[in-house]
Amino acid sequence: MTMLPERAPGAKKLGLVIDLDTCVGCHACAVNCKEWNTGGEAGILPDYDKYGPEPDGVWFNRIHSYETDGQGCSRTVNVPRSCLHCEDALCVTVCPTGASYKRVQDGIVLVDTDKCIGCQLCSWACPYGARELDEEAGVMRKCTLCIDRIYDEHLPPAEREPACVATCPSRARHFGDLADPDSKVSKLVKERGGVDLLAGLGYRPTNKYLPPRRATIPTAPAKPPAPGGKGIGAALLGLLDKALSR
Amino acid sequence: MKPAASVLLLTTATGFGFGLLAWLGAYSMLGLLPGHARVLVAAGVATSLLFASFGLGASMFHLERKERAWRAFSQWRSSWLSREGVAAVLTYPVAIAFAAVFWRDGPVIETRLLGATALVASLGTVYCTAMIYASLKPIRQWHNRHTAADYLLYAVFSGAVLFATLRTMDLGAPGATASAAAATAAGIALIAKRAYWRHIDAQTPLATLAAAIGLPKGIEARPLDAPHFTENFILRQMGFAIARRHAVKLRRIVLVVGFALPLALSILAGLTLAPMATTTLAVACTGVGLLLERWLFFAEATHVSAVYYGRRI
Amino acid sequence: MRPAAKQPQPERTVARTTCYMCACRCGIKVHLENGKLRYIEGNRDHPINRGVLCGKGSAGIMTAISPARLSRPLRRTGVRGSGEFEAISWDEALHIATDRLAAIRATDPNRLALYTGRDQSQSLTGHFARMFGTINYAAHGGFCSVNMAAAGLYSVGGAFWEFGEPDWEHARLFLLFGVAEDHDSNPIKLGLGRLKARGAKIISINPVRTGYSAIADEFVAITPGTDGLLVFALIHCLLEAGRIDTEFLVRYTNAHHLVIDAPGEAEHGLIARDAAGRELCFDRASGALLDAQAVGTDPALIGEFALPDGRRARPAFALLAERYCAPQYAPEAVASRCGIDAATIRRIAAEIAEVAFNQPVVIDQPWTDTAGRRHATMTGRPVAMHAMRGVSAHSNGFHTCRAIHVLQMLLGAIDTPGSWRYKSPYPKPIPGGEPPGRPRTPGGPLDAPPLGFPRGPQDLLVDEAGEPLRLDRAFSWEAPIAIHGLMHMAITRAYEAGPEAIDTLFLFMSNMAWNSAMNPGETTRMLSERDEKGAYRIPFVIVADAFASETVAYADLVLPDTTYLERYDCISLLDRPIGSADGPADAIRIPVLRPDRDVRPFQDVLIELAGRLGLADFADEQGAPLYSSYADYMVRHERRPGVGPLAGFRGEDGRAIGNGAPNPRQLERYVENGSFWRHELPHEQLYFKHANRAYLTGAKTMGLIDDDAQIVLQLYCEPLQRFRLAAEGHGVRCPPQRLRERIMHFFDPLPIWYVPLEEAMTDRVRFPLHAITQRPMAMYHSWGSHNAWLRQVLPENRIYLHRDLAARLGVHDEDWVWVRSRSGSLRCRARTMAGVNRDTVWTWNAIGKRAGAWALTHDAPEFRRGFLLNHVISEYLPKREDEMQHSNSDPVTGQAAWFDLTVSIEPCGPETHDETSPRPAANPLRVRLAGENS
Ligand SMILES: Nc1nc2c(c(=O)[nH]1)N[C@H]1C(S)=C(S)[C@@H](COP(=O)(O)OP(=O)(O)OC[C@H]3O[C@@H](n4cnc5c(=O)[nH]c(N)nc54)[C@H](O)[C@@H]3O)O[C@H]1N2
Ligand SMILES: Nc1nc2c(c(=O)[nH]1)N[C@H]1C(S)=C(S)[C@@H](COP(=O)(O)OP(=O)(O)OC[C@H]3O[C@@H](n4cnc5c(=O)[nH]c(N)nc54)[C@H](O)[C@@H]3O)O[C@H]1N2
Ligand code: SF4
Ligand code: SF4
Ligand code: SF4
Ligand code: SF4
Ligand code: SF4
Ligand SMILES: [Mo]
Repeated sequence: MTMLPERAPGAKKLGLVIDLDTCVGCHACAVNCKEWNTGGEAGILPDYDKYGPEPDGVWFNRIHSYETDGQGCSRTVNVPRSCLHCEDALCVTVCPTGASYKRVQDGIVLVDTDKCIGCQLCSWACPYGARELDEEAGVMRKCTLCIDRIYDEHLPPAEREPACVATCPSRARHFGDLADPDSKVSKLVKERGGVDLLAGLGYRPTNKYLPPRRATIPTAPAKPPAPGGKGIGAALLGLLDKALSR
Repeated sequence: MKPAASVLLLTTATGFGFGLLAWLGAYSMLGLLPGHARVLVAAGVATSLLFASFGLGASMFHLERKERAWRAFSQWRSSWLSREGVAAVLTYPVAIAFAAVFWRDGPVIETRLLGATALVASLGTVYCTAMIYASLKPIRQWHNRHTAADYLLYAVFSGAVLFATLRTMDLGAPGATASAAAATAAGIALIAKRAYWRHIDAQTPLATLAAAIGLPKGIEARPLDAPHFTENFILRQMGFAIARRHAVKLRRIVLVVGFALPLALSILAGLTLAPMATTTLAVACTGVGLLLERWLFFAEATHVSAVYYGRRI
Repeated sequence: MRPAAKQPQPERTVARTTCYMCACRCGIKVHLENGKLRYIEGNRDHPINRGVLCGKGSAGIMTAISPARLSRPLRRTGVRGSGEFEAISWDEALHIATDRLAAIRATDPNRLALYTGRDQSQSLTGHFARMFGTINYAAHGGFCSVNMAAAGLYSVGGAFWEFGEPDWEHARLFLLFGVAEDHDSNPIKLGLGRLKARGAKIISINPVRTGYSAIADEFVAITPGTDGLLVFALIHCLLEAGRIDTEFLVRYTNAHHLVIDAPGEAEHGLIARDAAGRELCFDRASGALLDAQAVGTDPALIGEFALPDGRRARPAFALLAERYCAPQYAPEAVASRCGIDAATIRRIAAEIAEVAFNQPVVIDQPWTDTAGRRHATMTGRPVAMHAMRGVSAHSNGFHTCRAIHVLQMLLGAIDTPGSWRYKSPYPKPIPGGEPPGRPRTPGGPLDAPPLGFPRGPQDLLVDEAGEPLRLDRAFSWEAPIAIHGLMHMAITRAYEAGPEAIDTLFLFMSNMAWNSAMNPGETTRMLSERDEKGAYRIPFVIVADAFASETVAYADLVLPDTTYLERYDCISLLDRPIGSADGPADAIRIPVLRPDRDVRPFQDVLIELAGRLGLADFADEQGAPLYSSYADYMVRHERRPGVGPLAGFRGEDGRAIGNGAPNPRQLERYVENGSFWRHELPHEQLYFKHANRAYLTGAKTMGLIDDDAQIVLQLYCEPLQRFRLAAEGHGVRCPPQRLRERIMHFFDPLPIWYVPLEEAMTDRVRFPLHAITQRPMAMYHSWGSHNAWLRQVLPENRIYLHRDLAARLGVHDEDWVWVRSRSGSLRCRARTMAGVNRDTVWTWNAIGKRAGAWALTHDAPEFRRGFLLNHVISEYLPKREDEMQHSNSDPVTGQAAWFDLTVSIEPCGPETHDETSPRPAANPLRVRLAGENS
């Protein structure tokens, strides 16, 4: 049903928390996602023109890099972008076939590729550009939150996390239940002021992004250099005067 | 947004078809159709369904998996696309019944009621189509109060022009009401289109790049590198951009060919100046003009997701 | 998505092996489904990557099916570079190679030059060269990191490179000099993540703000080549403020050692020693000259003292303090040159001092030092540093790297909690190993590995006249401490030396005709040049590669290798190990897939060749081969009794570590253990390894080091002074006159700074901009372009410049521009950014490809819009007035100075372009199969 489900009391809200303060933009999550989902239950993610002039393909996760200015702070920010598993997922309600749906039990937004007619309307309804058409199979594809890993009973519990989270070398990606205020991810969001992307559009994304921050080391204001500043100064001489023991 | 031929044809052709059906229905409802109009009604309904079918057929080309198209009727509770499908399909039996009963019974209370139903069904379908676009929050040029009204207006207008032509075929002249209706619809459509353009030109982008990546106000962001070098699906679909220069030129053509000319031609036809030629020419102009208008409707629309790629939105 | 329809359960297996999509050597779990690759993930138990996998590693599946894989041995049929080959059998290929090499060996083994890339089997290839008897061997270090390795090994007995790591768990301030990605790709990212999670401050000193620098808390956009000055300024501030760890200096370094001050004499600048050869210091307590290593003394760090023979001597520290306290190194004096304002430098110095001295890390762990003193705790300075090619790839990189090590020593931040730490098997006694090998008997094996550690002029490989013996001139007066050889000069020198000097150039796993060539246009010309009689100037070229690289087209014989999932490999402690600060480790690679082509693991082939040639250690007295394969060699070969390629699971019962008899079940044990072995050091041994009694004893027992004496850190680098004295005419072996001034200048035992050589010799008015490259995280040199996933990320590259500079030049994003240097011009597209030093332009390394290579179509973006900055780099510096011409290298180590380049940028005219230039003609491999006509 493409109506959005009523959130059952106690239902989970599974999603990712992505730390923009730590993401080095290495593309590991994107490639590992592609690798997992190519041949996973989601099926092959196609590549077009593999060795030719226009290499392109379907990716569930893409890494952008930006430069920012303002508030006295200029920096480079890497932003991985995948489906945010929105609570008000317009991509779901516009779907005419019911192929797009949001799961009641955990809020994961999925596409049933057996039902999809490839009308692409859902991709128009997603403000985040998170849905990509599989131009070979003619069906819409998107991040599954690795539903075939996180619930796989054959995996040891520690490994039941999305491929992109498991692989992220700087550990900038976190997975968990954002409905549970005590979960690791909820705490991170709280501590670090996690935000919604494009909050103004009202999709209420589940995934949250932790903004870049800046560690500092307070020091006494640097003393102006001693006038003249020639040769070994008094401070050093004083230090060297002290007895040492080898 | 990338203007796909299938969608342009769908919306324009169904506009013509359902617009015409709406006029037939309205005339019948208002008792403006005499008994001898049964040929007009039959031919009119046939034409309208032909247009609608052509449009709906074209839209199939937009579907990657046509064999599953039937599934699209299932989600009428939430999806305007599904509703459009359902509405379109429901309109067919109504239209056929209307034509058939009129053929048999002429202007009776049943045909007046059926006419009214056809009117509602056809405009309802057009409304559903419009709402597919109007409901898309990420596209500011669509997600506004103009879209639904305009779609209805253009359907009514193109239907009117077509209706006038059919009347001319039937009676040798469109008649004062029909041509006045066509001319008025053209005029209003023209004003509406200009209002729409004024509206979207005055809009501000839905988001800044900084907001799109969750940065607080006061910080500006610029793209450094896109994830991949080559164009991907998102950029092909949502990153389509038309140069302002071209847009201005095309807008002028739309106003002249799509609205002003049909308006003038309809007046001429109303004045029975070569009505056959003027009405058919009006249809042709409307067709070309509205296709171009629809093309612009897409080409000028920007999708907020393109902001991630540093595109203008 | 719906639950998958019921299908027959595929057969699933998981093999644990080691990644080789780059040289980081992460542990991987390879999932196979019905024998086919399904998924590769990080091995969570593996000490290197702890479960994470980078983008390259995740794309391994696509490399395993790349159409660029070579599929059979090839013999050249067309002219060199034409790409025309015929397929031959392995038998024939091995015959050709054996005959050629046997003939060389019978005349002059040095006529074989073996150069290998980042192959990780240097302990095998180096041993092959040694047993073959050629001094002409090098592996990739000369390209990348010999400055770091040499400076580190000669200063602290370890090195940044892969021999050390920051204490990620305790550091509070981390300074990262010139690193974009580095070999420790995943460990560094894991570490940065830890620092971030702990709220430590990261300062990146780098002209470009991308990648790691992007997430730094502070980005310092330094002007390339000036890090040495910045470090001196930091030292200046610390000295000025008296914020140094004098206790650390006297206990662990040679700061207090007395340096003879007798200008003009043969021992000037050397450390004063007593009759027994022990270094001397001045003990303030007794007022006497004492053994500098004696315990309980109060050594003087400044002053001037008389030696028993009447000569004067000063503590090394005094020389240092005098030098860096000088006003020329005040922040204000270096600021404009470095492009960093003085206040920032002063603040950073204050932050370093604050963290080091006001926030020491104290670990409750008793330990005993080499003097026998028991310490209740381990106390450290939580300032960690790491540096790589931003320092290394400049011709002043050796000294700059030494400067950083000196800064660390002054802070007491070497292998203490919170600072930089040695990775096992380091530290090693300084300078790090035996001198470079030379032939014992004519035609016999070398007496030591071909790459070694000269302690002074006596260890150089030069002839009577002081001229180089090696092809690439490593270990000559032109590059005395070239401990990794000069890879970038190999082809040029082979060309220049001509057929008299070199017969066969044997290249393994290095794309030396393209992205590791300075000036690929010239290099490929040299490889293809023939004399009047049609003979090639470089007579024979063997290339062992797994893929259709640019270099393959220039081979006479191609030995096709397997991919990393199809062979055994050995990541050995004898080579570049994967140990960490927590203990030694090594690993293997195992065949997970069976090759579907007629290819063989190169190591098997080399061992077979060695067997056929009857080389010692590879064949017995009778000449019968000793090993059937690399796997066999890994288990049974012993370099020294008890020490072999693999350190784990040794001894009959597999319990010995490091040192023990070969264990026939060793490989099985590795496989059971996830294809790696690691030994965790007891907590007592984790820090102060250079002076930690328990550690050094343990390391000696394991066979990691031969001598368990304290490793005294070399603030003052005495071996350099020995070369200098030779340049003054002292000793038996002196540099040729023309090089004396050079040696005098560059062999300063205390770090110096000079304008990078290329830059100093270039007209900076015409070429005002620095031009550098960076590693893209998702690509590994030339290997990424044939990978269908990775090439979507970077199929082409741009030259990036600062927005202000771009505005001044009238350049916009995506414009075509000319990049010109003194040695050439190239055309490419530009992109603008703000996070870059204003006088610097940069691009990603090794993205541009030659049309025809890597099995890409003729219109691939790699050819059409990708480019190599290398086209405008020259392997030679400009000729000097006296006609002398030096290679574009660090004068101490021979490190290739890739980043010394200076250029100008100008927008291309209004004509439109759609291709980069230069663009050499396409030369795709055209292979004639046996039995096929023409
Ligand atoms: N993904 C990936 N990983 C790799 C490789 C790869 O190709 N791809 N290659 C491997 C190899 S062989 C090597 S040698 C290592 C090298 O790894 P890195 O040391 O990271 O080498 P680079 O990326 O060449 O350059 C390092 C940085 O130095 C900066 N830089 C340039 N000049 C200066 C300077 O004067 N001062 C300072 N402070 N910075 C400067 C550049 O901006 C760049 O960010 O990486 C290894 N790891
Ligand atoms: N401008 C500029 N140039 C540079 C640098 C720079 O920073 N800037 N960096 C320099 C540095 S540090 C380095 S290390 C060099 C690296 O330069 P190269 O050593 O030339 O490295 P690659 O391009 O990776 O070439 C390695 C070769 O190994 C082959 N190969 C890959 N896998 C296998 C395998 O399993 N078996 C075999 N037999 N072959 C295999 C590949 O096909 C390729 O031909 O580049 C140097 N060049
Ligand atoms: S991110 Fe896009 S695709 Fe994902 S739930 Fe939200 S709207 Fe739908
Ligand atoms: S493309 Fe598929 S999933 Fe998307 S709206 Fe159409 S039918 Fe639904
Ligand atoms: S959760 Fe899984 S499907 Fe989604 S982006 Fe991560 S790896 Fe891809
Ligand atoms: S793997 Fe982690 S660090 Fe790398 S791009 Fe993804 S989120 Fe960023
Ligand atoms: S860093 Fe990446 S490519 Fe290199 S070994 Fe590790 S996983 Fe493989
Ligand atoms: Mo390198």
